[in-house]
Amino acid sequence: MMFWLGMGLFVTVYAYTLGLKGFHDPGPGLMPFIVGLLLCLVSLYLLVTSLLKRDAVEETNKGEEKKVSLGAISLVVGSLIAYALLMERLGFLITTPLLLMALFRGSGARKWRSIVFTSILTSLIVYFAFTYLRVRLPAGILRF
Amino acid sequence: MDLFSGLLIGFNVALQPVNLFYCFAGCCIGTLIGVLPGIGPVGAMSILLSMTFGLPPATAIIMLAGIFYGAMYGGSTTSIMVNIPGEPSSVITCLDGYQMARQGRAGAALGISALGSFIGGTLSLIGLLFLVFPLAQAALQFGPPEFFALICGSMVFLVYLSKGAAGKAFIMILIGLILGTVGIDRISGVSRFDFGFPYLLDGIDFIPLAMGLFGISEVLMNLEETMERTIFESKLRNLLPNLEDWKRSIGPILRGTLIGFFGGILPGAGPVTATFLSYTIEKKLSKDPGRFGQGAIEGVAGPETANNAATGGSFVPVLALGIPPNVIMAFLMGALIIHGVSPGPLLISQHPQIFWGVMASMYVGNCMLLLLNLPLIGFWVKLLRIPYRILMPMILLFCIIGSYSVSNSVMDVIVMVIFGVVGYILRKFDYEAAPLLVAYILGPMLERAFRQSMVLSDGKFSIFMERRIAAVILLISALLLLHAGYSYYRKAKLKVGSKRPPQETGDHP
Repeated sequence: MMFWLGMGLFVTVYAYTLGLKGFHDPGPGLMPFIVGLLLCLVSLYLLVTSLLKRDAVEETNKGEEKKVSLGAISLVVGSLIAYALLMERLGFLITTPLLLMALFRGSGARKWRSIVFTSILTSLIVYFAFTYLRVRLPAGILRF
Repeated sequence: MDLFSGLLIGFNVALQPVNLFYCFAGCCIGTLIGVLPGIGPVGAMSILLSMTFGLPPATAIIMLAGIFYGAMYGGSTTSIMVNIPGEPSSVITCLDGYQMARQGRAGAALGISALGSFIGGTLSLIGLLFLVFPLAQAALQFGPPEFFALICGSMVFLVYLSKGAAGKAFIMILIGLILGTVGIDRISGVSRFDFGFPYLLDGIDFIPLAMGLFGISEVLMNLEETMERTIFESKLRNLLPNLEDWKRSIGPILRGTLIGFFGGILPGAGPVTATFLSYTIEKKLSKDPGRFGQGAIEGVAGPETANNAATGGSFVPVLALGIPPNVIMAFLMGALIIHGVSPGPLLISQHPQIFWGVMASMYVGNCMLLLLNLPLIGFWVKLLRIPYRILMPMILLFCIIGSYSVSNSVMDVIVMVIFGVVGYILRKFDYEAAPLLVAYILGPMLERAFRQSMVLSDGKFSIFMERRIAAVILLISALLLLHAGYSYYRKAKLKVGSKRPPQETGDHP
C-alpha cells in the first residue's frame, strides 16, 4: 500500500510538471494528474481500512512465505534477460539451445545428453518453422 | 444491410479454405491450451498474435477468436477428468464433473459439457446478432461525453465485479491508465513518462505487456508448485448423455445461456462470474440441492453452457461500442488495432467482411469444436501426461519469439520479462492483472474522450450532466463505486478475520 501511495504521489507531481493548462484546454498532464491523485486517494483508503482490519501484517508477509522457489525464479528470469541481451549478437540458433538447456535443467530434468539433444532439436525446428512463416529471427553469426 | 445478406457475406468469408484452416487451427490450439493448465487463452493469444501479422485481419481475428472459445471447451475436459481446471472459467465444473467421473460417468459429463457449450455458444451468437445492431446504431449518436461516461462506467464495473478486493482492482486500473499514457501524447506532442529512454517514446507495447503479465508470470507462478496430476483412468463409454441426463440438463443449459450471454456483456463479469452464477442458481432451483457436489449433471451443464455463452455476449460491447468488457476482449481489440482496424460503432459498415466473417466463423468453429471434442477426448486427456517441466521452456521460448517478432526489438523482450516479474509479484500479493490490461487499452480512449468533452464544453463539467445518457451512466457508476467502497469498509470494520469462501467475494459485494 505504501508503495502505491508513493507511486501515486510521484505520478501526480510528474504530471504536474507536464502542464495541466486547466479544464477548458486540457494539457498533456491533466489526465495523469487526476489518475495520480486518485491513486493516492485509493491507496490511502486501503491503508486506513487495512489498519482497521489489522490483517495488514499477514498480507505483507505473504510474499515472503515461500523463499524456496526464489532460486528457480531468479534462474529463469536471469536466463531470459541474458538471452535477450545476447540474442541479436550471437543469433537465434546459438543462444536458443543454451537457453533451453538452462530452462530444462532449471525445471528439474536430469540427463544431460537428452537435455542437449532436445534443446538443439527444438531450436532447429522452431527456427525453420518460424522463418517459413516469415517471422524474422536474428541469424547472428550463423547465416543460412 | 439486412441480416440475411450479411450472413451470406459472412459465410462466404468463413468458408474460404484459408479461413476454415485458421479457424480449425485456432480451435485446436484453444482446446490444447484449455486442456493444459499453466497457460491461459490470453497468454496463448499473445504468443500467436505475431504469427497472424502476415494474414488478412479477418483471418487473424477468426483464429484468435477460435482460441478463445476453444479454450472454453478444453478447460472442462481437465476439470472433469483430473479435477484440475485448465482455465478459471471451468473451476466450478470440477465440483460435480469430477464426481461424475469418479462414478464412472465421465463420458456423460464430457458429453453434456460439449453439447451444452455448443448450444450456449450458438444461441449466444444469435443473441449477439440481434443486440449488436441497435447498440451500434445508438452508439453512432454518441459524442465524447457519452464515450467518456461509458468507459468510466465499464471501469467501475470492473472494480465492482472484481474477484478479490475492490480496492486492489481499482489500483490496478489506475496503474493501467498510467501505463497507457506512457509515450508521446498524441494531442500535444509532449512526451510523458519516458525517463529519457527512447524506447518509451512510442509507449509500452501491448504485446510485451500482455505476454509478461499473463504468459511469463503464469510460468513463474507454476514454477513454485509441482503439479501433482493423477489422471483418472476410466473407460470412456456412453459419451452421449442418456434421456434422463437430457431431461435434467435442458433447463440448466437454457438458463446458463441467458446468464452467460448477459454476464459476458457486463464489463468485468465475463465467463468466470457467469459460471459461478449459473451454478448457484441451479443449486437454488434444484429440488434436491444435496446432490450438488456429488456428481449432479445440472452442475456441469449449467456452468459449462454459461462460459461458452459468455464468449458470444462479450463480443457485443467490442463490436458495437469498441469497449472491451474483459481482458480477453481487450486482447482481441488490441489485435484489431494492430491490424489497422478500429473497433467501434463503425466497424460493421466499414469492415463488413470482418464483422460477418468472424460471426460466421464462430458458428463454424462451434461445430468444429463439437466434432473435435467428442471423439478426441481420449487424445486430449493423454496430452495431460506431458510433464510441465517440458512445457515450461517451450512456453517461455514462444513468448520470446512472439514479443521479439512484433517489431524485431530486443527491448520488447526485456520489457516483457520485466512485466513478467511485475505480474508475478502482483499475483503474490493477490492483485489481478486483468483490470490493468483492460485499463491500459481503455486509457488512451478515455483520455481522448475526456479532453474532447472538455474542449466541447469549454472546461465545464456540467457537460456530463446535460447529456442524458452520459449522466445516467455516470450516476450509476458513482453509486456502484460508493457501494463497493462502503461494503469494503464495513467488512474491514467488522474484521472478518476468517477467510471468506472464494466464490462469494466478488459476485455480490
